[in-house]
Amino acid sequence: MVQKPARSEPAKSTLPQPGRPVPSRAYPGALIVVEGTDGSGKSTQLYLLKRWLEIGGYRLHFTEWNSSPLVKSATRRGKQRRLLTPTTFSLLHAADFADRCERQIMPLLQGDYLVLADRYIYTAFARDTARGCSPRWLRNLYRFAPIPDITFYFRAPLDVAVNRILSGRPKLKYYEAGMDLGMSYDRAESFRLFQARILEEYDKMVETDNFVVLDGTMPVNKLQKQMRDIVASKIDLKRFAPRAEAAE
Amino acid sequence: MPEPEKEKAATSAPPVEAPTPPAPAPPKAVSAPEEAGSQYFFGEPLVGFDPSEITGSLIVIEGMDGSGRSTQIALLQEWLESEGFAVQTSGLRRSNLVGRDIDELLAKNAVTRLTLALMYATDFFDQIEHRILPALRSGTVVLADRYIFTLIARGVVRGINRDYMSGLYAMALRPHLTFWLNVRPETAFAREFRKAQAISYWEAGRDMSLSHDLYWSFIRYQTMIKREFEVMAKRFNFIELDGEASVPAVNKLLRQRIAEQLGIRATKYSPSAALSHLWR
Repeated sequence: MVQKPARSEPAKSTLPQPGRPVPSRAYPGALIVVEGTDGSGKSTQLYLLKRWLEIGGYRLHFTEWNSSPLVKSATRRGKQRRLLTPTTFSLLHAADFADRCERQIMPLLQGDYLVLADRYIYTAFARDTARGCSPRWLRNLYRFAPIPDITFYFRAPLDVAVNRILSGRPKLKYYEAGMDLGMSYDRAESFRLFQARILEEYDKMVETDNFVVLDGTMPVNKLQKQMRDIVASKIDLKRFAPRAEAAE
Repeated sequence: MPEPEKEKAATSAPPVEAPTPPAPAPPKAVSAPEEAGSQYFFGEPLVGFDPSEITGSLIVIEGMDGSGRSTQIALLQEWLESEGFAVQTSGLRRSNLVGRDIDELLAKNAVTRLTLALMYATDFFDQIEHRILPALRSGTVVLADRYIFTLIARGVVRGINRDYMSGLYAMALRPHLTFWLNVRPETAFAREFRKAQAISYWEAGRDMSLSHDLYWSFIRYQTMIKREFEVMAKRFNFIELDGEASVPAVNKLLRQRIAEQLGIRATKYSPSAALSHLWR
């Protein structure tokens, strides 16, 4: 099996060709993403969508932003000791996402799964641009990410979203509140200012990145109905139905 | 406080890109470092940093394992200190933020190429921001044991787009001098083997499945890296030195160029007793 290479034989590589860090659309699966500021209701809605699909028996995988154990310790250390700058904050999250992308998202999309992502690269674009990172650099950084089939953007007015967070989670963390930007010594105020910038960045992407905009202030069940209708119309769900059904 | 910062970023950054292209996006040359950029950075400026405060010099020594980099850096540090210069060294995986995490990832070999490339980038920028920039602002000479070029080459030989890799390091500081100690992989193998009586998994590029034979894996991998260096040598103005020459001979050439850069008149040097074992 293992052949000894001749001395002059050029090194052969079976690696993907340069130009496509990850083959973006060469997969049968589908990717659904939810985005929006903290408190926009996106996680609740994605959970309900997931339950709907799970109960229906569809092949799916759910993934969250910032969940890879690989770089968790580094992120924690960086946050605790406040070592992170806009650039390293961004890179660490990109490393984390790359790990998830290469080891979960891409293989599952290749394996014909429906992948649901709570936050995706647009979170990084909005948040890191709000921190001052260059949009052009960020776009390059995440160029390996597959483009979603649907990106739901849950839009809620700043006050609504901020109040949802502040009432339920009074202890804001340093980076979460954007304290590293030095906008205010008051955490709640800093959080509000930071979220305003993020919201502005999200709004800019509606057109450029084909966001499906949903009103985050609508009643939960009505919003979920909208979301399910859109998913059903845009994605051929039968493809992800249980195999047994296909045999019928 | 943050306002000027934001403004700076806004003026330097181009308008948000056109609609994300569907499917395999044709790689737009995103800030290919050597084309754009300022005298300080290869491409984009680093967020929240004013480069005009730099008074020190950044001197990079590149070359494969076994090219004599660390030996030369130890000698240069002693020489510069004897000339009265404050010296700081930097190298890969030495950041407080993720240096140790990368060591662990490498030991476990449970990491994909993109993640590893990004962890190295994190390590690099953490050192730039927390070690190299403060040193350069205080007039220190920074001797960098490897720089973005090794990191770019490692990514590219693993199939990561070249523009992607160089775009990643767009905010890297442009070195004042970049030396490349060029050696043949065969020489490097012999030197490394003599040093450690073994060749490490990563140095031999074992993750790339080039050959089951350790020697061949090393030679092929380092040859690929070397080819990338040849590509970069012109684009980034490397000063190429023959790493196969004797330590004193290479050191002399290094001292000449560095003396020119720093305005040192005499370049005479012979190592102290502590370093004399390196002088052969």
